[in-house]
Amino acid sequence: MQVCSSLPGNRSWIRWLFLMDESALERYFDDSIANDSCLSLEEELGVQSPAPAPEDPSFLSGKAGPSREPGEELDLSFLPDELSTQEEPGCHDDTGVTSLMMTSFHIKMIFCEDASETQTAALDVSQDSGIIPDYNSQDSTAAADPQQGVSLLGVGASPFCPMTPMTPMTPMTPVTERSGIIPQLQNIVSTVNLGCPLDLKFIALQARNAEYNPKRFAAVIMRIREPRTTALIFSSGKMVCTGAKSEEQSRLAARKYARVVQKLGFPARFLDFKIQNMVASCDVCFPIRLEGLVLTHQQFSSYEPELFPGLIYRMVKPRIVLLIFVSGKVVLTGAKERAEIYEAFENIYPILRGFRKQ
Amino acid sequence: MSGSGVSCPGCGSSNIVDDDLYSQAQMVCVDCGSVVSEGVLAHDPNGGSDVSYSWTTAVTRKPCVNLVKGLQRVKAICRILRVHKEIEDLSQAYYKQAYQHQSFIKVSLQKKEVLAGCCVLVSCRLLNWPITMGTMSCLLDADPMAVGVVYQEMVKVLSIEAPIVNVTDVMEAHSQEYKISPLHVPEQLAENSKDLAKRAVALVELAADTWIVTGRKPIPIMMAAIYLAWQSLKPSKQRLKFTLDRFCQIAKVNKHKAALKRITEMREVLCKLGREIPWLRAEVTPDNVARQVDDILKNRYALLRRALRTHEDALQAEDSLTEEAASSRASEPVEHTPTASAVGLCGLNSERTQQPGDGNESPCKAPELQSDSQETQESVPNWGKRVLFAPPCVTHPKRRRAGQPGLQDVTGDEEISDSEIDSYIRTPREAREFALTQKILSLSESEKS
Repeated sequence: MQVCSSLPGNRSWIRWLFLMDESALERYFDDSIANDSCLSLEEELGVQSPAPAPEDPSFLSGKAGPSREPGEELDLSFLPDELSTQEEPGCHDDTGVTSLMMTSFHIKMIFCEDASETQTAALDVSQDSGIIPDYNSQDSTAAADPQQGVSLLGVGASPFCPMTPMTPMTPMTPVTERSGIIPQLQNIVSTVNLGCPLDLKFIALQARNAEYNPKRFAAVIMRIREPRTTALIFSSGKMVCTGAKSEEQSRLAARKYARVVQKLGFPARFLDFKIQNMVASCDVCFPIRLEGLVLTHQQFSSYEPELFPGLIYRMVKPRIVLLIFVSGKVVLTGAKERAEIYEAFENIYPILRGFRKQ
Repeated sequence: MSGSGVSCPGCGSSNIVDDDLYSQAQMVCVDCGSVVSEGVLAHDPNGGSDVSYSWTTAVTRKPCVNLVKGLQRVKAICRILRVHKEIEDLSQAYYKQAYQHQSFIKVSLQKKEVLAGCCVLVSCRLLNWPITMGTMSCLLDADPMAVGVVYQEMVKVLSIEAPIVNVTDVMEAHSQEYKISPLHVPEQLAENSKDLAKRAVALVELAADTWIVTGRKPIPIMMAAIYLAWQSLKPSKQRLKFTLDRFCQIAKVNKHKAALKRITEMREVLCKLGREIPWLRAEVTPDNVARQVDDILKNRYALLRRALRTHEDALQAEDSLTEEAASSRASEPVEHTPTASAVGLCGLNSERTQQPGDGNESPCKAPELQSDSQETQESVPNWGKRVLFAPPCVTHPKRRRAGQPGLQDVTGDEEISDSEIDSYIRTPREAREFALTQKILSLSESEKS
């Protein structure tokens, strides 16, 4: 790692931005491109996730500021204790910079010497903060305080080491081996109470997108195009919304259904919206010996090839059911929060990996 | 006893006595004779207010008739399968236990019969005498899925952890079903059942190593193995021309459609290995591979290693070509020399493990995967194509229609436009016409019926 001498001497900042929103980041970079000294590593931080998901619990190593100037304070308060003292033996940069491992959040590191931009950089620690398992408390302080909490270099003319574009960023000695694969949400089931009794016959008559067959099922089945979802609306006023691909989409869809019911003349409200189930899937990209897995994890697994080709793994903590297939595809279901899915996958991945090498 | 502290409502005196003269205990006032209070006619000794028939009258409870019949059925199934006494006892114990559980006490008699079969099934599994669910459902003459449902329910209720059935274990028993001995069929088509079973077991083991068995139903695999074994034991023209249909006819077995696919897959695997036989000049095709099966099975581990090594070399050559074409992929040659040696190591280690196939192709894949993150984006669906042996569902993936990109950047709190909502609501005229049409339709329906 070379010291970037082109950086003007004053105020270099590292900022850890926790951004959910790729496009917002793009916009930000477009703004900051003008300041040539900003090196954005957005492209370089590509991870092995199969889909361009904005949330990337990728395992990134960040190069902190150099510890050259012993007098400077490195504010490492947002990192867990063991990391701040960690020193990589085989560190490949010649300035002896301590590598720090940050896990489970989407980190964009931007080295920019313009202090004013730190405020604009949206610190949208969005809904994704749920996926930060260990570092929650530290992250929120870091997130809340981009300038102080994250400044790894103190004020002063410190020759700052920018990141060389590496593809991808691999940790030197990982604290825990993270998979780098993110399960993609496929379906969200949520319920909401519209708060008033409904005349299903009337709704089925007046709404274009509704079907009602009381002999078969005692609810109106309504569908909307965007987000593409289906709702079951019961005469008590309760509604089930399925088919959305994210929590926010589910909420938006439920609101649209409520609005339709409202327009039809009922005093519908939007009470007790709750996500009941989340289903996600991903691919570990190697074949899995299900017979062996059921032998070693018998108390959690059920594998009956005569009934179902996949292995049903009931994880205890978090309480998630995983369907594991020989092709390496894994389906996770039973979660009420996104974090549970990520946690469950990170729990099962080492088991599957360890398995494969046998 | 007098002086109970109650005063008579009639005369107000406190002289109340217990009168047990009659069958009913009463409290009577001495002075005026009025009854102050009376006890319950039937005092029950147990503290509750009603007396149950079974507690007072029945001396011995007669066991439920259906339970007895069910236990007899369990015994009958065990005798048909010719299992030993322990299994019979265990299955009877389980049946008794499960029968009386609330999830099974009120089910139909048919389901109770299926339950009997499932008890036998689970006892067989626990005591190392494996049979498949398919076999049991044939015995019970029930739908395999129904058997599966009852089986899973029962295992949950009784909290049993039964080991899974290994296909190779079941192979021998299954091959007994095929009437292909010299007694049943003409000489050229006959085969000793022992030889047949032995070769079929070897074929199934090979299939298991090369990812054909995991996740699949066992019976079609066994059928395919027996068919291929039968063909290869005497690979005459006549036998090679025999289709699976005809084979099942002469062996008097019900054909499974899935067995055809397994036969194709197994033949492919055998071809891949057959190509590595050093002394073969002619080309090995799925049609004539039956002749080489004997040699292939004898030397299968060595052939597996050779095949994997050849595959690795082929991949390297291919990659170095593409690397010359695309100069940006500088990391590749560095990655591949370690993989070549890794394969060599894997190849040596793996034959000592139980699953040689597995150890080989997966670690070879791993460094390749890690090296090039951009490549994985495209080749993620195709990692199966780059490996020599992969589960067939990976090498021939189902075509799925591309998922709609859908909304990104949704906060859930956006404004909902009125026009959008209006598009979901019928105009008054539309609603009228719809109601009319519905009425006409329902009238015509009722006329028809």
